Amino acid sequence: MHEFSIAASLVEKLSEFLRENPDKRICEVRLEIGELSHIEHDQLRFCYESITKETPLEGSSLKIDKVEAFVECPHCSYRGRPKYWDDILAGAPVVTFQCPSCDKTVEETQGKECAIKSVKFSQIQPVPS
Amino acid sequence: MANEGGIQATIEASPDEIYDIELEHSLLEANEKLAKENRALLDQHGTTAIDFMGAIGSGKTTLIAKLVEKLKGKMGVAVFNGDATTSNDADAIAKQNVPVVQIATINGCHLDANLVGKGLRKIDIDKVKLLFIENIGNLICPAEFPLGSKARVVVVSVTEGPWMVRKHPHMFLGAQLVVINKIDMAKAMDVSVEDLASDVHKLKPDIKVIPTSCKTGEGIEKVAAALLAV
Repeated sequence: MHEFSIAASLVEKLSEFLRENPDKRICEVRLEIGELSHIEHDQLRFCYESITKETPLEGSSLKIDKVEAFVECPHCSYRGRPKYWDDILAGAPVVTFQCPSCDKTVEETQGKECAIKSVKFSQIQPVPS
Repeated sequence: MANEGGIQATIEASPDEIYDIELEHSLLEANEKLAKENRALLDQHGTTAIDFMGAIGSGKTTLIAKLVEKLKGKMGVAVFNGDATTSNDADAIAKQNVPVVQIATINGCHLDANLVGKGLRKIDIDKVKLLFIENIGNLICPAEFPLGSKARVVVVSVTEGPWMVRKHPHMFLGAQLVVINKIDMAKAMDVSVEDLASDVHKLKPDIKVIPTSCKTGEGIEKVAAALLAV
């Protein structure tokens, strides 16, 4: 359940934003999560909802954008999408680091992201008395 | 009309009143920063740290004990044992009279760079050339949390069955060495060491795979040599 540590780190950062901007309310948080990260999106959402319950962040929606993996081969200069292991018995094909072009080991250039991309907020307006 | 301090009401914004800002911020940054600090500290003292990952019962502790036995006469070695609750593993290694730090994560499913950094402050790093870090028995979570080690080793044993590599492919992508342990049990388990190695190579063709048996001692020398070469 490393999703909990990640959700906690997310809430900490958003709380910091709210401390600096006390006149704002966060409505939506957009994350970028790479295909090569080992983060389960639904678990992360569940952890976020649990931690934010009864806090100023309650009800804010968590949107997750998946970032595709890209690799680069130091042997044959291939650059592009990785090779997938299709018949691995998993629910979905699995990314491998085998070069689609020369079969040697590639290096990742994209796909390990786990970051807050943007935040949508509204302005809390004092009611004229 | 003067606005007195303090929030007086919350008004729901209509869509055209919602603002959007870019906030590039990595959620793993805190751990990554500490991992880099650990690495800098280790490098400064000429110490190489190796992170051992693998399932519970894959034989990480016994393998480390065998490696310590082999190497302690030649260089300063130390061991960090990560475990959720017990100190069994730390106690087993401490018998060899080398510095051991038990890192209890309590409910945590992985070691993180902060805990390892605390451990580094408990040993005399100058006297340690090789530091073995035994991660928590878990094949998913530790992958996301670098510790500052120079290499990551995955230990998989034949007693975990024939599909261990396929079931946890991500762990192998981030490793620099794979040990297939308990090969003396392969026949009894009806598990092919070659098939496990071939699965690893499908994921990462150039990675070194060393079959070992801590019982017969087979392969231990090769693992020691591979670690000294990282």
